[in-house]
Amino acid sequence: MDFLLQNVLTGLSIGSILLLIALGLAIIYGSMGVINMAHGEFVMLGAYGTWALNAFFGMGLLSSLVVVFFGVGLLGWLVERGVIQFLYRRPLDTILATWGIGVMLQQIVRLTVGGELRYVEMPHALTGTISILGTEISSYRVFVFVFVVALFLLTWYLMNRTRFGMQLRAVVQNSEMSACFGIDPKRIYGLTFAYGAGLAGLAGALVAPLKSVSPEMGTSYVIDAFFVVVLGGVQSIFGTVASAFLLGEATGTLGFLWNDTIAKALVLVGIIVLIRFRPQGLFVSKVRG
Amino acid sequence: MFDSSAHANPTRNRNRLQLALYLAFCVAIFAVPLFIDDDFLLNRYARYLVLGMVAMALSLSWGYAGILNLGQALSFGLGSYAMAMTLKLKTVPIHTGPDGLPDFMVWNNVETLPWFWVPYQSTAFAIFAGVAVPWALAAILGWFMFRGRITGVFVAIITLAILVVANLLVIDQQRYTGGFNGITDLAQLEILGLEFDAYSKSTYFLVASCLSVCLLGALAITRSKAGLIFQAIRDQEERVRFFGYDVAAYKIMAMSISAAIAGLAGMLYTVVMEFASPTFMDVPLSLSIVIWCAVGGRQSLLGATIGAIVVAGMQGALSESETFLDTWMLVMGLIFVLVVLFLPNGLAGLLDMAGRRLMRRPGALAGGPAPAKGLSGQKAKDQT
Amino acid sequence: MTEHLHIEGLGVEFNGFKAVNDLNLSVAQGELRCLIGPNGAGKTTTLDLICGKTRPMHGSIRYRGREIARLPEFQIARAGIGRKFQVPSVFRQLTVRENLEVAHCKHISVYTNILRSGRSAESDGLEKLAAFVDLSDYFEAPASVLSHGQTQWLEIALLLAQDSELILLDEPAAGMTHQETQKTADICNRLKGKHTIIVVEHDMGFVRQIAQVVSVMHQGTLLMEGTVEEISRDQRVREVYLGSTLGI
Repeated sequence: MDFLLQNVLTGLSIGSILLLIALGLAIIYGSMGVINMAHGEFVMLGAYGTWALNAFFGMGLLSSLVVVFFGVGLLGWLVERGVIQFLYRRPLDTILATWGIGVMLQQIVRLTVGGELRYVEMPHALTGTISILGTEISSYRVFVFVFVVALFLLTWYLMNRTRFGMQLRAVVQNSEMSACFGIDPKRIYGLTFAYGAGLAGLAGALVAPLKSVSPEMGTSYVIDAFFVVVLGGVQSIFGTVASAFLLGEATGTLGFLWNDTIAKALVLVGIIVLIRFRPQGLFVSKVRG
Repeated sequence: MFDSSAHANPTRNRNRLQLALYLAFCVAIFAVPLFIDDDFLLNRYARYLVLGMVAMALSLSWGYAGILNLGQALSFGLGSYAMAMTLKLKTVPIHTGPDGLPDFMVWNNVETLPWFWVPYQSTAFAIFAGVAVPWALAAILGWFMFRGRITGVFVAIITLAILVVANLLVIDQQRYTGGFNGITDLAQLEILGLEFDAYSKSTYFLVASCLSVCLLGALAITRSKAGLIFQAIRDQEERVRFFGYDVAAYKIMAMSISAAIAGLAGMLYTVVMEFASPTFMDVPLSLSIVIWCAVGGRQSLLGATIGAIVVAGMQGALSESETFLDTWMLVMGLIFVLVVLFLPNGLAGLLDMAGRRLMRRPGALAGGPAPAKGLSGQKAKDQT
Repeated sequence: MTEHLHIEGLGVEFNGFKAVNDLNLSVAQGELRCLIGPNGAGKTTTLDLICGKTRPMHGSIRYRGREIARLPEFQIARAGIGRKFQVPSVFRQLTVRENLEVAHCKHISVYTNILRSGRSAESDGLEKLAAFVDLSDYFEAPASVLSHGQTQWLEIALLLAQDSELILLDEPAAGMTHQETQKTADICNRLKGKHTIIVVEHDMGFVRQIAQVVSVMHQGTLLMEGTVEEISRDQRVREVYLGSTLGI
């Protein structure tokens, strides 16, 4: 019973990190149809940002979150304005261009900060463990979980209950028509991309204490995030949540049975098979198309 | 604009010019050893030719059939490992255990040769497998995706994910694959009594022959009826389906031929490099292949080949210093983004356009010097 | 005239919306049939169902006596049914001749086609087809240089190259100038009798120029059939179209 609970908690923890990373991509891919291959690099920059703020300005993890969010968000906005806005009709080329941007970001970090591993410390208050039903779990992981849930609710509110969210949905449906009603699609797309990038930056900041920080750390994140989004069903933000935790549990359990590598491989293969038979995602009903 | 009286048949002229360029390229690569008598340099050039070959293979599936296979390095790596496995089993006893077991297996306490290594005691089998395994894998993957009508970005991401999975497994299964270190200390390839020392003219000629055969073969495929249909599928997949073609079968064919050529290139790479490593099937290599292909011109087999040779060659020249290499990768990333944005058909497309303009200029000699006109196999750029 | 296409009790739903509902339609060999109706009447969906783009949930489609309702698209196409889509879809990077080559090909297997030259020997026939739709001057030009109207005609030529006996045209005159519409009508009239044609069209002027029998669809089902004069007089048709700009 104990190890079952332990497993469920591990899965929840993995799932919360997946959701954290996928949330930004879900916004960008779900609303704009752009697969941002530099998403992993945004995560990486978030991690490095946290490290740098700590190393040079002595800022703690929690206080750097705000800076990282706006910093990476601004970068995302620049990328959208500078490159992606020219490629909305060429989805395959968007993959390539953002991949190229990812390479550039990696190299810039390598050339300035260096290729060696960096470590980010957890906030002191969160270094201990918490006991849940008799099972010990790191309080930082609990914090990440709570933070992600809060972030998700905020995002949901932003997309569904605010003027910005309404404008975004209008632009997604028909950008020319929205322009006629006085909405500037360029501004909306730019801000959406910035928000998604900012979320990726936050993900990087929060992941940093759990993993070592390196220029190439982002590479595998984008694939994970993409699959979480697709499996959940594009444009269904609740689907993203469900699939993140589903994949978290699957990875946790398989990792417990074999090892982490095999678990990861099996989960990826499993997702590919699922996508083949349910391309619209697990949590979305089929629509005419 | 398309005055048919001036040029009796512009398409036919273009095709002839294109063939002439391809043949000239093949002659040129065979002529290189006449001028360079440095085995070290020849080994390097052979390496670039191999990379040209794998980029050319991608051009066939991506540029012609519209299948962006981001896992092209997987086929390459599988070919490379197939060759490394047989050469490892033939290596001198210092690098093997008591029963001819590869040294890394001995270190990992493997006692008998695993079943999937056994057939590789035959070099002939390995050469067959180096082409057949990537071919079959691509065919299965293609069947799986294209029968399910998976297209576009999904194909790109799925092929990338498969590559990641394979790379993880190869590194993880150290007992059987050599893990991070790959398979090193190999014997020399020997076919029918001919020895292929990596640092020799014979290996260079082997690579040049394979590249020439594959390049001309691929050109023939693009000019066949199937090649025409590949391009039609790239432009308008639905339309082709409603002409009564089984689109999935065509896409599977394009992808598996491309994988087979990449597998052959991988085998040659092991011969040239004298080892196989997980970096021969990792994401950065796949990205590089895509970059070479895009910069050279995805819709031109020769363009992609030359793109890879030039870019990899420049990278090789700079690789003496790590900072140089990092800067170079940064510049490459930038060039890649710019090419994707402004030059979707790469340098070949640019030369093609320039050639076209030259031909159209009043007073230009019909069939006059338009060096790059036929470089791109594609007929005209989509203007939209 | 013998019956060429016979549709019976055809139906399909999207999320509970009955796009086509218990449709019965019969078209004779060599006939040119116009399919009209207000927006959302299910005209395009009907073409989708015939050519296999959409799977029907109920009913049958018999083509020359053979049930085709559940065959994959490529088999339906091979049986002799060609479809022109609303949005013109030709291969823009290929030349007009190459476009026709792709459509014309009698061998469909990838294994034989990889061994055959991309240039067929009988390009005479293809040139005649290009001449038929007035594209001779563009025979070796890439399709991307063609105007909107020319692209539509090329697509019609592709269906002829494919040798379709039954041709489905979805709004062939949409977005065309007056002269282009005239020319399209002329092409349709010249095809009458040689091919069975079903045209979905909004432009009543165009319909008048080509129609023999017109079928009016409403809410996924057949409202009435008759000549242009008959349907213009019909009270139900007028009610269905009430408030629309259709010039009946």
